[in-house]
Amino acid sequence: MAEKCKMSGEHYGGVVRLREEHEKVVKDCESRVDHWKKVSGDYEALNDRLKTLPDQLSYDIMVPFGPLAFMPGKLVHTNEVTVLLGDNWFAKCSAKQAQKIVDHRMKHVKHELDDLTKTMKNFEARVGFAKDIETMSVVSDYVDIREDVRNNAEIVNKGKPRVAHKPKSKPKLGPVIDLKEEDEKDESEVCKNVLSEEELWTRLDELEKLEELQDEQDILSDTADMNGEDTSSSSSEEEKDGDPPASVNGLSLKPSWITGPPNKAPSCNDTKDEDEEEEVHSLPTISFCHTVEPKKVRINTGKNTTLKYSERKEQKDHSKKKKKNGHGNGHAEHYKITTPADIYRLFVDVKNGEPIPRKSILKSRSRENSVCSDTSESSAADFEERRMIARSFSHDDATNHSDTSDGITEEDSPTTAPAHPTSRFEAFSGTVIEKDPMPTTVPHLTIAHPALPTILERKQEEVGLEVSSSTDTTFVPPPQPAIKKLSKFKAARLQQM
Amino acid sequence: MAEAIQKKLKAEVEKFTQIQKDVSKSMSLRQKLETQLTENNIVKEEMDMLDSVNTVYKLIGPVLVKQDLDEAKATVAKRLEYINGEIQRYDALLKDMEKKSDQHREVLSSLQQEFQKAQGLAVGKA
Repeated sequence: MAEKCKMSGEHYGGVVRLREEHEKVVKDCESRVDHWKKVSGDYEALNDRLKTLPDQLSYDIMVPFGPLAFMPGKLVHTNEVTVLLGDNWFAKCSAKQAQKIVDHRMKHVKHELDDLTKTMKNFEARVGFAKDIETMSVVSDYVDIREDVRNNAEIVNKGKPRVAHKPKSKPKLGPVIDLKEEDEKDESEVCKNVLSEEELWTRLDELEKLEELQDEQDILSDTADMNGEDTSSSSSEEEKDGDPPASVNGLSLKPSWITGPPNKAPSCNDTKDEDEEEEVHSLPTISFCHTVEPKKVRINTGKNTTLKYSERKEQKDHSKKKKKNGHGNGHAEHYKITTPADIYRLFVDVKNGEPIPRKSILKSRSRENSVCSDTSESSAADFEERRMIARSFSHDDATNHSDTSDGITEEDSPTTAPAHPTSRFEAFSGTVIEKDPMPTTVPHLTIAHPALPTILERKQEEVGLEVSSSTDTTFVPPPQPAIKKLSKFKAARLQQM
Repeated sequence: MAEAIQKKLKAEVEKFTQIQKDVSKSMSLRQKLETQLTENNIVKEEMDMLDSVNTVYKLIGPVLVKQDLDEAKATVAKRLEYINGEIQRYDALLKDMEKKSDQHREVLSSLQQEFQKAQGLAVGKA
């Protein structure tokens, strides 16, 4: 009871203070209203004066002379009035115009007066309300129900506002399942278990695919390593390019299944990636995680191309070893593309006496366009052509994922080849590059043709996957030799350029 | 301990009062600007009522200088814009200062609590 009285006392004191403050405001409003009323009265008197002033030509008046004296004088030019407009501005007007100005000012004064009366009313109401509360608390017929906020709650939170959980956090599923399954486990453990379960499922799927592709994996493992590196760069590229993250994830997934389950954890987050992988794996050309590569295609910069270039070269070499079909036969040969390596050979158009593989199909064009991304229509057309070719190749390659895939149907290639100008084999530049571990590929993303690459990439992904598979088989160099190759190719390209 | 906290408290209080003064200064300046704004608005409207026949004067010191009506209108318009800009500036400044004063207030309250605790301890010990 004592506490209650205390509280009510404090409360009462607060209410009293509130009432006093409100009353202050009301008084202030009243004084202002008085002031404006005075002004209004003055203006009305002025109005009257202005009306009567022009009645006579001149008036006899007592002119004030200093603060204490007056002098008899005459008031002339009765119609001319110099009006103070405000802010040290004066205007000479006739009496009537002055009247107009006065009326305008009266409007303003009225407006102010109205506002003040409104606020005064408001605060008077508040004062009345505060008085009521006062009387209530004193009489105590009506009890004000109050609940003090305990400081304990604050202490628990340590003054920190509650933070909403981010929607991305995974453990949400965990606790539900855990409760159902086991009650004893900690939530954290449960969460982990839940997460791990999800991951396990995805991993199982991946492992199955892995088993299927064991043979290829061996071949692809080397390339996968490259891809892993590339994926990192390509992933970064993709991010820049804005390609669907799925492809990137796919790439990331690739190394995961090659390196082992642990890598899958990060990739597990994207079911898409897994799907892509699954799709990829289902086809003989599973290694096509390179889809990211296509992005590289966009990068026509020397660096990117060099990466690709080196891969191509290896492919070329490999293909050369395997087949001695007109390497670098030039345009006529490109119809007979049996292996992905042939493609690169074809793209080698620019030859300074050597069939130097182009770093990127786009490159030949990019040369024209310089390193900067060039979205010329011709290049776009070329890209499309390349795409077609790439598709055809990919289609063929799908059947034979390894280098020795002989599935390339010449039917497709010739149809696409004629359309494709011999000089540009740009389509596959992207696909080849996947292998390169060079981090230089990363910065080049910006230069690619902005519009084209996105489309190309997707399509090339298909192609790239196949190509990559083929390239993977051929390309087994450690990063160092790749670097060297890059330099060579770079030099070659530079020469070409 | 209590003395140290007391000193801190005093320092904080001084800072706080200083900031409060600044806030009130800015507030008064802003109010002044507002009155000027309304005044200039009235002048502008009244000038619009006038014809070019009337001569407009400007009071510069003790001298009434003749001005062109159009020029005067332009000048008043510019002044209006200037005043508006100044008001915005002061608004931003006020916001800043309020934030600072809030921060100081928090610090003050925390220090006060510490001080009370320390005092309580001292009393307990004694």
